[in-house]
Amino acid sequence: MSTSKAFVHISHHRYREHETGGGEHPEIQARLEEINQRLQGLADFCKIISRESLSAERHWLLNIHNEDYLLRFEETALSGVSYFGHPDNQLCYDTYEIALLAAGAGLNGIDMVEENPADVIFCSVRPPGHHAEKAMALGFCFLNNVAIAARYWQEKYERKRIAIIDFDAHHGNGTQAAFEESSEVFYISVHEHPTFSFPGTGYAEEHGSGPGLGATMNIPLLPGAGDIEVEKAFSRKIEPALNDFKPDAMLIGAGFDGHRLDDMSGLAYSSSLYNHLGRKISALAERHCEGRLVSILEGGYHLPSLGESFSEYCSGLLQLP
Amino acid sequence: MFVSNFMSSPVKTVGPETLVSEAREIMTAGKFRHLPVTDNNDLLLGIITDRDIRSALPSALMGENKKSEDLPGIATLPVSRIMTKVVTSLSVESTLDDALILFGENKVGALPVIDEENRLVGILAVRDLLKAYKELFGLGERGSSLIAVRDDNKPKPLTRLTEVLEARQVPFTRLIRTDTDEGGNLIYIRVHTYNLSAIHHALAEAGFEPIAPILN
Repeated sequence: MSTSKAFVHISHHRYREHETGGGEHPEIQARLEEINQRLQGLADFCKIISRESLSAERHWLLNIHNEDYLLRFEETALSGVSYFGHPDNQLCYDTYEIALLAAGAGLNGIDMVEENPADVIFCSVRPPGHHAEKAMALGFCFLNNVAIAARYWQEKYERKRIAIIDFDAHHGNGTQAAFEESSEVFYISVHEHPTFSFPGTGYAEEHGSGPGLGATMNIPLLPGAGDIEVEKAFSRKIEPALNDFKPDAMLIGAGFDGHRLDDMSGLAYSSSLYNHLGRKISALAERHCEGRLVSILEGGYHLPSLGESFSEYCSGLLQLP
Repeated sequence: MFVSNFMSSPVKTVGPETLVSEAREIMTAGKFRHLPVTDNNDLLLGIITDRDIRSALPSALMGENKKSEDLPGIATLPVSRIMTKVVTSLSVESTLDDALILFGENKVGALPVIDEENRLVGILAVRDLLKAYKELFGLGERGSSLIAVRDDNKPKPLTRLTEVLEARQVPFTRLIRTDTDEGGNLIYIRVHTYNLSAIHHALAEAGFEPIAPILN
């Protein structure tokens, strides 16, 4: 019961230094500790390659964020103030540097999968990214890790058509906005309905605009929705859309906060759903782009279910029996 | 809350002697369906709509010969012959509520806005009204969502509720309290925070039962 694929885990020991103020803030270092513990379990079934990420270079960041925003972000971190923009966006002195390392993880993951497309790549990063917009931090995201990776993949490796699937419980407003007018990056998100959930965006009626019309797909689910709704969304909407789009590469916004035990959303997924998603996504990547697939952590805050869901997802990606 | 904040202005208009064919071209080019008719002093004389023109033109199902006989005649009609002369309209002092009432009562897609001398100053389409309410309710404001709680019927509910939110530094931008006969009052709040669960708990502790959004 094992596989010849290698599992590449990209992370960095400095992520633990990103402080979110304690108290009730859910985005804590313990999340990555939980994930790291689960790697042992995966090691029984496949070879694990662990890598520390490198900082993303500035010009890759500037594809997605503007110069002034980056300066303000850095200044705010260094100034000793405890949050950036909104009290949810807690930060500390080192956060800017750590965010560069988080943004760099996806880029390193892309380099590795381009070298060995059969390998399974997962980037366990913090702070997360999908709410961060061009000039705005939101929902404890500062740099949009997935968006930065998508543009990197297009420019460095000339993979023109990128599909992004974001199954975090919350809509990735930042990732959608980054590619709103792009016909070459297809942003797909399944999330809790925006009327009832942060960040209040991601209505089914949003399809992109200008040249990007048709390259955004939002699938909002009502609070209480579970595995069946997600499975249906996948087979009826997401797979057919990707079969038409034919991506050259795929990026996954892997958030595990849709789990029923996770308080940060009203969704009620089980951990085994993530195994299903891992399998489906891996099969799609093999079908369309020779396995060029990188998954990047977004949310997931209930520690035991985060760990279990992460294991299930990775087992699914590895197509373990 | 005033229509003047949301109306389109200045408005494309035509004079009463403008030909129907020209009016049709103007509407097609501008992609709108309502064309106010005014005199040289902006006095509102009537309104001509895309539907008025389509009703006046021969049916697309008629034979070719019949069409070419009728067309020159209609094309040279002035708009004054087919426009609506008694126009439902808003005044510069009208509010969005007025617009909502008028759109509900009349089958029109747009309402001209006139001053005390009946001069045209703008036009408010149904679409403009929808946009106004969308902004009013904060639809799509990034980082926000709507939560609903039940009023506990004790004194000063809004003071106590806002104290809970302010103590947690949670910005909120809309507060709607409804007044229902059965079941008690509901309070809707558009809050700007990630941690909705903590807000629900805090409000519940303060006596406000959260209403779960469940489809009946």
